[in-house]
Amino acid sequence: MKNGRIAVPSNGKGGLDATRSGHFGHCDVFTFIDVENGEIKKVSTIQNQEHVQGGCMVPVNLLASHNVKALVVGGIGMRPLMGFKQAGIDVYHDSQRTEIKPVVEDLIAGKLHQISDDQVCGGGGGGMNLK
Amino acid sequence: MREQKIINILLASRDKTSMAAFKAGLEENQVQTAWAETGSNAIARLTEGNFDLVVTDENLGDMTGLEFIEKVISTKPMVNCAAVSSLLPADFHEASEGLGILMQLPVRPDQEQAEKLLRQLKNILNLTEQAAAD
Repeated sequence: MKNGRIAVPSNGKGGLDATRSGHFGHCDVFTFIDVENGEIKKVSTIQNQEHVQGGCMVPVNLLASHNVKALVVGGIGMRPLMGFKQAGIDVYHDSQRTEIKPVVEDLIAGKLHQISDDQVCGGGGGGMNLK
Repeated sequence: MREQKIINILLASRDKTSMAAFKAGLEENQVQTAWAETGSNAIARLTEGNFDLVVTDENLGDMTGLEFIEKVISTKPMVNCAAVSSLLPADFHEASEGLGILMQLPVRPDQEQAEKLLRQLKNILNLTEQAAAD
């Protein structure tokens, strides 16, 4: 990824040295990493909104309104994944590492894979449980 | 004064009588309802119309309620979903995880369930609107 804004659901105050939240809907903040010509230019955070049952589209709209182009998750449900796709936000997946910085560096370097529809969380989707 | 938005809800069920009280409860609260008797018919209605919520029965004849919701979210993820289910809440949670279902409804939901669901839907619609405006 050469240009654009990456979002990572984060624990605590967020930031490049923080850790990724295991459940994006329940994260404390989203860390934004702005990338220009393959380099990190700016890091900022925004507060997540209240999470309620069935409110999967709230973070989709929040991130879309902040011009996010890519999201990194440890796991995601089918409905929010489809929502992000519809909003034009690419969803990348790394369930092993919780450190934000190395995962973002891999994304920028093109080493991270986008999550596929059969890798979504939960029984409904019938896929892997990635939470 | 802000104009109150009409909420559009699609009810998907083979049995109109089982949802009669629930439907009446919705319509008493400025909700416009539409009806579909099968899963494929409901998908067609959703493609044509602009619905805030779809409520599905447990079995629609051509597919189960949860199979129907999977189809809905693969094409219209912004549409909120609620489902009638006789499963225990923990089993329903397991079976529907990731589908982002607003509420599990009991078989033959009543007026009280309609009001509870509407409160939850309005909360979600407000939060979604706020998030888009941020």
